[in-house]
Amino acid sequence: MKRRTVIAGLGCVALSGIGRARAQSEPPKPRQIVVNASGGAMATALRKAYFDSFEKEYGIRIVDTSPTDFGKLRAMVESGNVEWTVTELGGQDAIRVARMGLVEKIDPKIVDRSGFPEQARSETVYTSSLYSTVLAYRTDVFKPGSHPKSWAEFWDVKKFPGARSLRNHPVDNLEFALLADGVPLDKIYPIDMDRAFKKLDEIKPHVTVWWTTGAQPAQLLVDKEVVLATGWNGRFYDVIKKGAPIAIEWNGGSIKEGTFAIPKGAKDAYWGQKLLAWMSDPKRQAVYATELGYPGPHLETTKYVDPKVAPQMPNYPENLKKQFWNNKQWWDENGEKAAERWNQWLLKK
Amino acid sequence: MSRGRSAGTDLALRNVTKRYGAVSALTDVSLAVEAGELLTILGPSGSGKTTLLKVVAGFELPEAGIVMLGGSDVTERPPAARNIGMVFQNYALFPHMTVRENVAFPLEMRRVPRRLIEEKVARALALVELTGYEARLPTQLSGGQQQRVALARAIVFDPILLLLDEPFGALDRKLREQMQLEVRRLQRQLGLTTLFITHDQEEALVLSDRIAVMSHGRIEQIGAPDEIYERPANGFVADFVGESNVIAGRAAARKDGLVEIELEDGARICVAGDRIPDAGAEVRVLVRPERLELASDGAAINRVAGTVVETVYLGTSYKYRLRVPGGREWLVRRPVRAGEAPLAPGDSVAVGFAPGDAHLIAG
Amino acid sequence: MTEAVATLPLAAGDRVRRRHARSVLGALALSTPALVLLLVFFALPLLRLFWLSVDAGTFLPYEKALTERLYLTVFWETFKIAAAVTVLTLLLGYPVAYFLATTTRLWQFVGFAFVMLPFWTSILVRTYAWMVLLGRNGVVNRTLLDLGLITEPLPLLHNFTGVLIGMVHVLLPYMIFPIYNAMRKVDADLVRAAEGLGAPGYAVFRRIYLPLTMEGVLAGTTLVFILSLGFFITPALLGGGRVAMIAVIIEQQVREFLNWGFAGALSVVLLASTLVVYGLVHRLLRPRFAEGVR
Ligand SMILES: Nc1ncnc2c1ncn2[C@@H]1O[C@H](COP(=O)(O)OP(=O)(O)OP(=O)(O)O)[C@@H](O)[C@H]1O
Ligand SMILES: [Mg+2]
Repeated sequence: MKRRTVIAGLGCVALSGIGRARAQSEPPKPRQIVVNASGGAMATALRKAYFDSFEKEYGIRIVDTSPTDFGKLRAMVESGNVEWTVTELGGQDAIRVARMGLVEKIDPKIVDRSGFPEQARSETVYTSSLYSTVLAYRTDVFKPGSHPKSWAEFWDVKKFPGARSLRNHPVDNLEFALLADGVPLDKIYPIDMDRAFKKLDEIKPHVTVWWTTGAQPAQLLVDKEVVLATGWNGRFYDVIKKGAPIAIEWNGGSIKEGTFAIPKGAKDAYWGQKLLAWMSDPKRQAVYATELGYPGPHLETTKYVDPKVAPQMPNYPENLKKQFWNNKQWWDENGEKAAERWNQWLLKK
Repeated sequence: MSRGRSAGTDLALRNVTKRYGAVSALTDVSLAVEAGELLTILGPSGSGKTTLLKVVAGFELPEAGIVMLGGSDVTERPPAARNIGMVFQNYALFPHMTVRENVAFPLEMRRVPRRLIEEKVARALALVELTGYEARLPTQLSGGQQQRVALARAIVFDPILLLLDEPFGALDRKLREQMQLEVRRLQRQLGLTTLFITHDQEEALVLSDRIAVMSHGRIEQIGAPDEIYERPANGFVADFVGESNVIAGRAAARKDGLVEIELEDGARICVAGDRIPDAGAEVRVLVRPERLELASDGAAINRVAGTVVETVYLGTSYKYRLRVPGGREWLVRRPVRAGEAPLAPGDSVAVGFAPGDAHLIAG
Repeated sequence: MTEAVATLPLAAGDRVRRRHARSVLGALALSTPALVLLLVFFALPLLRLFWLSVDAGTFLPYEKALTERLYLTVFWETFKIAAAVTVLTLLLGYPVAYFLATTTRLWQFVGFAFVMLPFWTSILVRTYAWMVLLGRNGVVNRTLLDLGLITEPLPLLHNFTGVLIGMVHVLLPYMIFPIYNAMRKVDADLVRAAEGLGAPGYAVFRRIYLPLTMEGVLAGTTLVFILSLGFFITPALLGGGRVAMIAVIIEQQVREFLNWGFAGALSVVLLASTLVVYGLVHRLLRPRFAEGVR
């Protein structure tokens, strides 16, 4: 009885000794950090690719919560009671959070993003993955090779007849319309809305479904409701993996970033940066990519995935060349005006 | 609407049987109602009165038997085509229609011209003395007024038959008596063949041309009120209609239209009877309380000595409960008279009755 | 009633009034928990919504909501769809309610199970089920094609029809239950009385049964209409983007543009116009006898 007490006491002294020793190089390790993301299949992929190994390496447990919620983020930062160490950001929020000063800067001394494309090295947010809005088609209707290979051809209903589906949202569609109208990839922004909507007028009668949720376009192609659709590459990847007669045309695809950030005033922000650093490794990003079809942005990621799968990734060098980076800044400034005009245009008979 | 001759039609039921699952609501019921007659169906709750009306009105199809109306078989004719006016047990006024609309409803269904409708409604409402209530909703009327609206609605279209299902059940005594007279007056005035349901024997006696007494889905007796009261066909009828003293005994001898009956205690009484039972047969004798005479009233033949157990003052009469030999009790009713002191409990009296005031009933 | 009060001596009139006041207070006390709940979960958010819409100190959001073609059109379309859904659920729901109210216990049980089924599956699952059924290559179209009844697939999905079918399915129970309830309360003797008075079947229905169940119809249509106005997922998925509902626009304003002011203004306008429609419908359809009682 007595001996045991002594041993326990010793252990205690020893542990605190280590703690003090580490404090000089880095902040103390918390027992756990909270990572907030969209949940679902993504949560599984994050855990498999990054979280499990991070926990093992640092002995910090990662508690994952969902969903992403801009309002909650803002409330947390404003009240100073920040629960999240790291959070994923919704589509257009990356620009907004920076503008409103809701997030910490990404520390380049901890997070090395030299292997990322230049567009994916924001000061304020960490690009965790890339995805692309692309053209997909049914291979039993259009033989690969003689399928629509550009937005101009997507618009060409004589040569490529059949029902189409586009997203019920101006983002990407305005860009695609301009490309179809002959604007070169690097001259899309700033978008000429008049020109874009005029071009969209042409395709409107041939669009049977204006999709609203990410799962829809792949399903529409599978059900043969339409023969051509735009959609997020990962969703198509999913059904292609399962053997659906569907293929992706990368030409003119619109690349976007999935982003994470560290809320301003987050406890253990240092360990948040460490997690992002952990996630920037191309090998781990390859695991994530194989799982979801959305690769991390590291240019070497595709080297580490199955060579058969690599061409299905938006940052496969061949694919990257043919696409453009969607301009978040433009959309942050013009999104509302564009949406209003879009709604009006769609209602017009 | 007022007519000299009878507007009604004769009704006949032949061997009608109606079952609800295992319950036999009507068993082999036969009944004939003459044109212009008011026939009352009298019976305790659950005896099948409403069921009988429903079969007549066409709401229920009997399993067996036929319903004849004015000489033709209407057993399977839908209710809407029977031209029968009915007042339901709970009036069944349409709650969303005014008094005027309720009464006009059957006329509108018959596509009576608009002007004529106004006239007929006004006349029917005048008949039930509800002129001025046209715009009210049923919920804004008293029970008696609702009942009269139901009556007006049932007669406004000159039906060939009127069915009334315990229409006065919910009314107070005074209103009830007033309505009874009113219905009788209307029925006579219009010459309407009427089937009237009640479980109130007094009401039946007051109103009816004839009464049919029902029990357990069967008709026990049909006859004029006095016949039912004076000469009940069996114990049930005797017991159900009016108060009665029933004396059990054995026929001992008979002579000159009189039957001598030996009671259990050996005493003998004499009863007049058209139906003379065999000697030795078990019989029962019915004597109404008001037919019993106290000894002081005069020479009664069939005398019994008794003791007053209870005295009840009824306004027009006294009712005495007497204990008579054999441990039985008799009821005696005597009119109240000036200067005549009532009997008090404990008094000993002799009671008796003339042979003609008693009635022999079967088994 | 008024007559009686007028002839009462003053003191007695006071007494009547006092007793009335007491019973009102009693009823109020009993309903306090419910009122508090309503206040916290309904009235306050509503006030906040209104507050948000005028937060900027101007009525500009209202001006925009009430003058721009886009929003007027969407409001109009929303009300049109809500009206169409209400009429359809009524036409389908009334006979079902009648069946349930008049059938045997066993059938009632089976019937209710079917009516309740949509309640037990998520709205998303139900909506996807309709997509599988109604698509160009869906079960319905394939069956009709195989039977040779049609040569081209019918456009059942991604249009007005699709939205109607989906919404009617989801909302049908809300129509059936109040009507069923009203039907259970109808005294069978009233129907008999009408028949006995010479009314043919259709007249019994139109003059007696329908007015007597009108209360349920009113409750059901109000419920379905108001729920339809706020519909969101079903029109988005089954409408193929062609069917504009105001809820979609409001959601977009909040989620995408954090435009609480304008979203608030749109909601307030929606609420106000809903109340107007509600008032009109009640004026037209409210059963008379319900007012006369008491
Ligand atoms: N719809 C029905 N289903 C099953 N049984 C019924 C039905 N209607 C009546 N009965 C039964 O049939 C019998 C006769 O009922 P009925 O209503 O004719 O009685 P009633 O003489 O009118 O009684 P009351 O004076 O109480 O109105 C009763 O035993 C009753 O329970
Ligand atoms: Mg009855």
